Amino acid sequence: MAIDEMTAPAGDTGSARPIMKVENLSVVFPRPDASDITAVHDFSLSVTEGEFIGIMGEPGCGKSTAAMAMLGLVRPPGRIATGTVEFLGQDLGKLDEEELRAIRGKDIGMIVQNPRHSLHPMIRVGTQISNVYRAHNDVSKQEAWEHSIEMLRMVGINDPERRVKAYAHELSSGMAQRVLIAIALSSQPKLLIADEPTSGLDVTIQAQFLDEMWDNVQKTRSSVVLVTQDLGIVANYCDRVVIMHQGTIVEVAEVHDFFNSPQHEYSKAILGLQRRAQEKGVAIAKVDEKAPPLLRIEDLTMHFPIRASKSKVHAAEQVSFEIKPGECLGLVGESGSGKTTVGRCLLRLEEPTSGSINFHDVDLASVSREEFRKNRANMQIVFQDPLDSLNPRWTIKQVLEEPLKLHSDMDQEQRLDRIRELLKLVGLEESFVQALPKEISAGRQQRVSIARAIASNPDFIVLDEPTSALTPETTAEIIELLIDLSNKLGIAYLFISHDLTTVKFICHRVVVMYLGQIVEIGTKDQVFETPRHPYAKALLSAHLFPDVANRRVDREVRESLQGEIPSPITENLPKGCYLFGRCPSQVEKCRNMPQELTELEDGRLVRCWRVQEGELTD
Amino acid sequence: MIWRFVVRRVLIAILQLVGISLVVFFLIRLLPADPVARLVGFNATQVAYDQAEAALGLNKSVIQQLGDYLGIMSTAKYDGIAQGYLGDSWVTGSPISEEIGRFLPVTLELITYSLLIAFLIAVPVGITSAMRPDGVGAKITFFWGLFAGSQPEFWWGLMFVFFFFTWWWEQFGFFLAPAPLGRINPMLIEPAVITGFILVDSILSLNFEAFVDAAWHLMLPVFTLVFIVSGPIIKMIRQNMVRVLRSDFILYARSCGLPSRSVSLYALRAAMAPAMTLIGIFYGFLLGGAVPIEVIFALGGLGEYSIRSILSFDYPAIQGTVLIIAMVSLLVYLTIDILHAFLDPRITF
Ligand SMILES: Nc1ncnc2c1ncn2[C@@H]1O[C@H](COP(=O)(O)OP(=O)(O)O)[C@@H](O)[C@H]1O
Ligand code: SF4
Ligand SMILES: [Mg+2]
Repeated sequence: MAIDEMTAPAGDTGSARPIMKVENLSVVFPRPDASDITAVHDFSLSVTEGEFIGIMGEPGCGKSTAAMAMLGLVRPPGRIATGTVEFLGQDLGKLDEEELRAIRGKDIGMIVQNPRHSLHPMIRVGTQISNVYRAHNDVSKQEAWEHSIEMLRMVGINDPERRVKAYAHELSSGMAQRVLIAIALSSQPKLLIADEPTSGLDVTIQAQFLDEMWDNVQKTRSSVVLVTQDLGIVANYCDRVVIMHQGTIVEVAEVHDFFNSPQHEYSKAILGLQRRAQEKGVAIAKVDEKAPPLLRIEDLTMHFPIRASKSKVHAAEQVSFEIKPGECLGLVGESGSGKTTVGRCLLRLEEPTSGSINFHDVDLASVSREEFRKNRANMQIVFQDPLDSLNPRWTIKQVLEEPLKLHSDMDQEQRLDRIRELLKLVGLEESFVQALPKEISAGRQQRVSIARAIASNPDFIVLDEPTSALTPETTAEIIELLIDLSNKLGIAYLFISHDLTTVKFICHRVVVMYLGQIVEIGTKDQVFETPRHPYAKALLSAHLFPDVANRRVDREVRESLQGEIPSPITENLPKGCYLFGRCPSQVEKCRNMPQELTELEDGRLVRCWRVQEGELTD
Repeated sequence: MIWRFVVRRVLIAILQLVGISLVVFFLIRLLPADPVARLVGFNATQVAYDQAEAALGLNKSVIQQLGDYLGIMSTAKYDGIAQGYLGDSWVTGSPISEEIGRFLPVTLELITYSLLIAFLIAVPVGITSAMRPDGVGAKITFFWGLFAGSQPEFWWGLMFVFFFFTWWWEQFGFFLAPAPLGRINPMLIEPAVITGFILVDSILSLNFEAFVDAAWHLMLPVFTLVFIVSGPIIKMIRQNMVRVLRSDFILYARSCGLPSRSVSLYALRAAMAPAMTLIGIFYGFLLGGAVPIEVIFALGGLGEYSIRSILSFDYPAIQGTVLIIAMVSLLVYLTIDILHAFLDPRITF
């Protein structure tokens, strides 16, 4: 519907005006001792007025290089080998350096990947924003400086008068990201090229920013070319999708067509999980509801002391839940909500401040380290970045052999057999045993970490963002593998992720955390279909599911949370409900009334008195 | 903040200096050398030998000698390091600190000027050759580096003396450079020693004749050093600059449409900070590394002094020289680190 409105501007002949036309663009990087690499090959794309285009593709496929080359820029020593770029009817190749400069950053805005490295490390952020502003506007230094403060305020940075004097390394990557957004939007470009502009941001802020960009496109009829790895963003905002693979465009499609009937093999791989689920019905097996719990944690609390200060970081506050054998429990929340801390406490990678962890009838929180180690065979963890957790000098064989030596008394022969078996279980070929971690792809590395985790036959694994560092196609494969392993071996998971799409796929029940507290626990359907706690609602509504039938931009109300999650140090914690200040349903009474996690009629637990008393329905 | 850093660094430096003193003290005593025989001659009588040995304190145990040297639990009549006294030279009998005070400024002057000039040349050359990797500048730099590094520094020193002094005089009948015999024409009135830097002193004492002549005498040794160290310095500045030009923030600055002058300034800013560290490293290196040049031009620098002390087994002088060189190096590193911190906000103390 939205697309129809856009492709038929009032009083026009029917076709919208092209803003940029790229033809046969190729970018080449010379290598001193080998043949050149063609990073982008024959890239052609035309962008029309008011269009929102998404570019997807695996890391290193040339997305960012192509985006830069649209501006006529290449990182040295690369060069643009062939191709033309026409912008508003002008051939950019025919302009001189000064004319090009005047267009860059003014008519074409750019947001690059890696925001912290893209700001100069030794120049104040405000000076850098001012410099860009002054490059395109005839203003004094003072005016430009005030303008910078204004822009920081506009992109929601707290205390802009102080931040404007900061250096890049003093900003979080989310904040640096917003500085780049501020720079790009301030000149109201006709075309915005954005390279993974929201990768450092939390879902709630990501939604705010993309909403604003989309509204802006509608209002001013400017255009956006958005490079992203996230199917959710593409499905919810883009009109057209460009799929790149190994330097070339393999598919350009209208967004609904792309999701409903992808043409190219690689597109199908990207959409793997969605499609296979529809076709074969990949699903995790049902759990025996009557079985006694495998793991029961009660009032788990973790306070980190802050050096030279009386206050503490309240990373987890009285967290309680149960996991049944073979069950997958999802743990979701914004970053900093305490998810990782809970996972790490279970394995005593952090020593919890208080609380109990009952596993196989032993309280892991209070037993000695010695005693605890005996239980480690039954309980494993897989981290987000496989390279961080695999010893870079060990071959895959050594990696897998270690837990076998530690937790079993197999002889060498038996261990080799077991390694073969493990590789087969995680879908790796035997020939990988001699490889080093860095020699194999990220997806395979994660398979190796999973193989290592299941080596000792555990019945419970903590998965901390196991797919967050992976591309959509490998994410799909890893999720399928995890489901498969659970079905075959009966392993239970605590699945920690901020990616609700994968959580929805794999989990039986879901825990939502905010500021170290659980705010809602329920079955997957309860939480995903009808979330009750205001925070859970906002989180779900801000999450971008890759579902073109229900695009966020087509919705009447796009709920989102205002502001940002505060850091959970003692003096920041609200006296009453922790969500007070950001909650769309708050009333004065919430300010000073601490909230309890209480069971509702349908069996779920919610920490909000207004929900408990039936004041908030729908 | 910065003071805490400085104090900490000074304390560490003192520990390092104590360590170095001990190492040198024991190392020279491990040498199979007999400084007493060296002093009194091999034909001296046993009595004369014993007297000399006692005078030098070498008849005491090594531990007692160490105590005398450090000035802690000393059994000697004179002060030690703890009292701020480096001892007297066994050869000349005058205090080591006085002698080093005469020789050290010569070396410092030589390498300070050389490094300053080398940097004034290397920064623009290194940067332009990084910005235009196919340009003439880059090629010249490349061959210069190869050429200058192909021979040891004393060889270049001798070559320049031969060419600019001997050959030039024979060809053209006048001296382009003076004879390599010291810092100033001995017929001139030397300026009073104020800083020990002869150029500075001659200005301070308004002795312009001396200034011109001293500058003339410094010309060739400085030229030789500049010729040798510029190659590697240019190379490192260029590499720095190439790296910076490929960085995300330069690409981003260009994509924002900053004028090329601003982009160059951004790059320069980032490339300069590591170059500072380079100055420090070269300075420390040249304190000992400029010896061949000092010797060829008979400048009378610390390098020459240390060689003389070693050859005559003048233990206190060797110990003193090593200590002073280490002290100057540590001081230079500290200064550079402080400057670096002012340039780069990422460095915190
Ligand atoms: N070792 C630690 N020391 C101090 N604070 C920590 C430590 N680990 C985590 N935190 C803090 O605890 C809070 C919760 O963090 P984390 O568990 O990583 O959340 P999430 O996984 O949801 O991102 C954050 O504010 C984080 O900065
Ligand atoms: S208690 Fe009040 S502030 Fe807290 S979630 Fe409920 S409505 Fe919102
Ligand atoms: Mg985390």
